[in-house]
This record gives sequence, C-alpha cells and structure tokens, in this order.
Amino acid sequence: MIALSPGPLDLAPLLAAVADPDHGGTAAFLGTTRRGEGEGRVVGLFYEAYEELALSEMAAVAAEAGARFGARVAVAHRVGRVAVGEASVAVAASAGHRPEAFAACRYVIDELKRRAPIWKQAVFDDGATRWRDGVSALDPAAAR
Amino acid sequence: MAHAIRVTVRLFASLRDAAGADRVDLSVPAGTPVGAVWGHLPDPVRAVGLPDGARFALNHEWTLPGATLRDGDEVAVVLPVSGG
Repeated sequence: MIALSPGPLDLAPLLAAVADPDHGGTAAFLGTTRRGEGEGRVVGLFYEAYEELALSEMAAVAAEAGARFGARVAVAHRVGRVAVGEASVAVAASAGHRPEAFAACRYVIDELKRRAPIWKQAVFDDGATRWRDGVSALDPAAAR
Repeated sequence: MAHAIRVTVRLFASLRDAAGADRVDLSVPAGTPVGAVWGHLPDPVRAVGLPDGARFALNHEWTLPGATLRDGDEVAVVLPVSGG
C-alpha cells in the first residue's frame, strides 16, 4: 500500500496491508509535525507533492526494502495542511523477525526523506509561510 | 531556424508560487536538453534561482539534464526535497 493522503493518516490500514502469516515482527514509524521548525512558532506544515513521481518513488523504496530485508512495506504521506501533532508520514514494515522489520522501517523513512519529490512549507502563527526547498533565504539547505 | 517543439514544465514549492501556476507550457528548439528549459521559464520563476541540489524528471521519471527533449514531453524541476 503506497498512498498520498489529503486527510489524517491511520495506521490500521497500513498494518493490515503488511500482515503476513509468516512474519513475526511488524515495525511502524510516524513522522509528526512539530513546533520547533526554525524562526517563529510553527502552527502547521503544508505539504506539496509531485504526485506521479512521489508515488512511484515511494513504491520503489518499498520494493527495495522488500528485496533487502524480506519485508512487506506500506507507506502513506500527507499532502496539504498538517497541524502540529498530526502525523505527516506513516510507514509499516513486517518481516520474519524483528531485526529485519526494524531495519526495513528505518530504510523506508530514511530513503523517502532523501528521494521523494515532496516539499514542506512551514506555516507560522503570524501567517507567514516558508518552503523548505533549497531556495528560501532562511532555509539552511539553500545554496547561497 | 530550428524546428520548435512544445513541452510542459511542472513547477513546485517556491517555483510554483513564483509562476502562479503548477505548470508552464513552452515552445523550445528541437534538440533542447532537459536542463535548458530553465532558461526558457518566465522571469519571475528564474528570479527564484536554481539551487545546486535541483534535479529533473522527464515524463514522471528521473532524468539527467542532458537528455534530449521531444515534442509533447513533460519536464519537472525538482527542488531539494523535504518530505517525510
């Protein structure tokens, strides 16, 4: 199960999607929106995705985790507005035993963060917004 | 004069904000490489600047900037990502 979701994420379908009678371990990760994202007080994040490539890249990462760890993987990522405290991304991974389940879950979120064409914009309590996309003047990732 | 081809450029995040649209249609010379679409984008978009970590996609697949464009292609300018 690979999905982009405009609404709140639910772990239950992800866990169901990776259920396997031969797997003894299931690991899950939630990335949650937090307040401390740089200057000012963040009240939420806004996510934008290049949907076609985000879905195929997430599927590719899941397939890699499957091949590398023998894991079943499910991933869902929010698009649109996500309030502080809500999950922005959810990953579930099952495998025969817990080392592979944990490793697959970690691999998927690490690779997704590195590769998926998805961008977040911080929304501050004064109404200001700032993309984290390498071009904002106050973005530490910006090349200047 | 070189034959012209039509391509669409998908834009995201700061580039989308600058363009006021999520895509721009361009007419470029046949043989134009993917990376060269940057120079054909509207001034407000190019004013944002293209950071070192930017990548390109062609018809929903990762591509190198040197790949040759064909009529009807869709390019995406992929700024450094921040999902997850």
